[in-house]
Amino acid sequence: MITGMDRLIAAAEGRVSDRIPVFCNLIDQGAKELGMSLQEYYANGEYVAEAQLTMRRKFGYDNLWSLFYVGKEAELLGCTKIIFAKDGPPNVGEMIIHTFEDIHKLRIPDDIGSHPAFQEEIKCLRILRREEGGKYPICAYITASMTLPAILMGMEKWLDLLLNGPAEIRDELLTKCSEFFRKEITAYRDAGADIFVYSNPFGSTDFVPRKLFKEISLRWMETDLKSVGTQGVVYYCGGARLNPVIEEVLERTGITTYYLSPMDDIREGKRIIAGRALCAGVINDIKLIDWSVEEISLEVKRMIDAGMPGGKFFFGTLVMPYSIPEVNIRAMLDAAYEFGKYTRQD
Amino acid sequence: MLDRIIQDYNEAVLDTSREKALAVIREALNQGVSPEDIEFKVVLPSIDMIIRLADKGDANLAQHFMASQIAAAVTEELIPKFKKTQEVMGCVVIGTSMGDFHGLGKKIVSGCLKVFMIDVIDLGLNVEPERFVEEALVHHAQVIGISSMMVHTARGENGCLKVRRLLKERELEDKIKIAVGGAPYRYDHELYKVVMADAWAENGIEAGSVIGELIKEVKK
Repeated sequence: MITGMDRLIAAAEGRVSDRIPVFCNLIDQGAKELGMSLQEYYANGEYVAEAQLTMRRKFGYDNLWSLFYVGKEAELLGCTKIIFAKDGPPNVGEMIIHTFEDIHKLRIPDDIGSHPAFQEEIKCLRILRREEGGKYPICAYITASMTLPAILMGMEKWLDLLLNGPAEIRDELLTKCSEFFRKEITAYRDAGADIFVYSNPFGSTDFVPRKLFKEISLRWMETDLKSVGTQGVVYYCGGARLNPVIEEVLERTGITTYYLSPMDDIREGKRIIAGRALCAGVINDIKLIDWSVEEISLEVKRMIDAGMPGGKFFFGTLVMPYSIPEVNIRAMLDAAYEFGKYTRQD
Repeated sequence: MLDRIIQDYNEAVLDTSREKALAVIREALNQGVSPEDIEFKVVLPSIDMIIRLADKGDANLAQHFMASQIAAAVTEELIPKFKKTQEVMGCVVIGTSMGDFHGLGKKIVSGCLKVFMIDVIDLGLNVEPERFVEEALVHHAQVIGISSMMVHTARGENGCLKVRRLLKERELEDKIKIAVGGAPYRYDHELYKVVMADAWAENGIEAGSVIGELIKEVKK
């Protein structure tokens, strides 16, 4: 039987298998699957692992997630207040950096793998590895040093520091965030994750001017990745567009997988990459809440028609809001499986 | 001379350099350019420039943020220097929807609204629908602005939908309009209709002019 890992490796190497890999980011839906509140669900890594395994088997897509919620990274750095909703992702309830003094005081844990706030993820990863390791890629979500300050001090304060300085304080914070990134990716690798979604909205020219992208974003991406390497790393800008930066990111970092934004033109992304890396076409999944099954099918076909020629392509989702009806999730996946067949004839 | 000032100011805004932009304004004042000319021929058109760039996908979040912050700072500095008091165009109460703790978009909108001579009552983050309506009444606001960064806070029952219901129940729909904005609306341009808002804006900068239009509509 062809597994998700087989499909992914074949696509990455420019070979064919039965169909293109299909990545589906069902995260909060795990709580619904197990019939519990999001707060209860995220308190136990066994629940997260169980739901991830169940949802993957039920829907048949190709990846598993070890992500709980993005605020977990803030918890690893001292945040103690996470606000849970009943129908959406948890929010960071308190910023841990309010002043420059807080930046001086920020300490990066020596060993993230043994940090108490990481133990449920370790538990989750251990189960995923035991049950489906090597068969289905296990994904971890790691925020780039350029973007992590936004969840530590808030977007407004981070933009202010980034744009107005003082530069030495900005660099002190980025140095610490980059150290955290390197330790975090190492902890995830040690725990058995295969794919590392390197989330960096501040590495997109939708967020920052090109000059700043070149002078600061790229430099810190190089710092993040230099010692830990790019094996399994996927470049992702959190919904912001990638196409305008792919060439420079590829050249400077050597990252070999690009997870486009729904706002990116897939054909253009493939043209820029020109066979040098794997490329994901990503559906605007917010529309899945209201689209009909027919509209979903047409959109998936359009995307795959744009991305599949030339190979090295897979299908992906963005945030997958909690309120997408299950019938629409199924319609999207069925269309991706059908139109993504390498032997497709239509 | 004014052309040169406009060019230098726009360059500084696009460069996201607050220092440079403020230096241009100070220099213009020293050269005897009237505060009114600086406000309405330099600062306000620079917001329009960012809107045009944003429409073409050529402006980024950092430029929106800085354009708004610089414009608000300059406006606050210039208003006391105006020879004639400018008429306030209207009032908006603004906040993030309940359960939403993302305040950047709201901040950008608030900065722009000041340039358009619109009073802003900032209700902060995680605002209950009842409070939006109560505060709008207290401040005689023509518009309620609701910012949401997440799908569930944009579409949820305690967001815009409930504000609409409260306005309807109290027969206030002709007096108070609702504008929405935030990431979910950028990914689904019809979403503002689903949540029963009167209008939406693609970004914080554009929100200034959208809210301005709603105020005019109420005042008609």
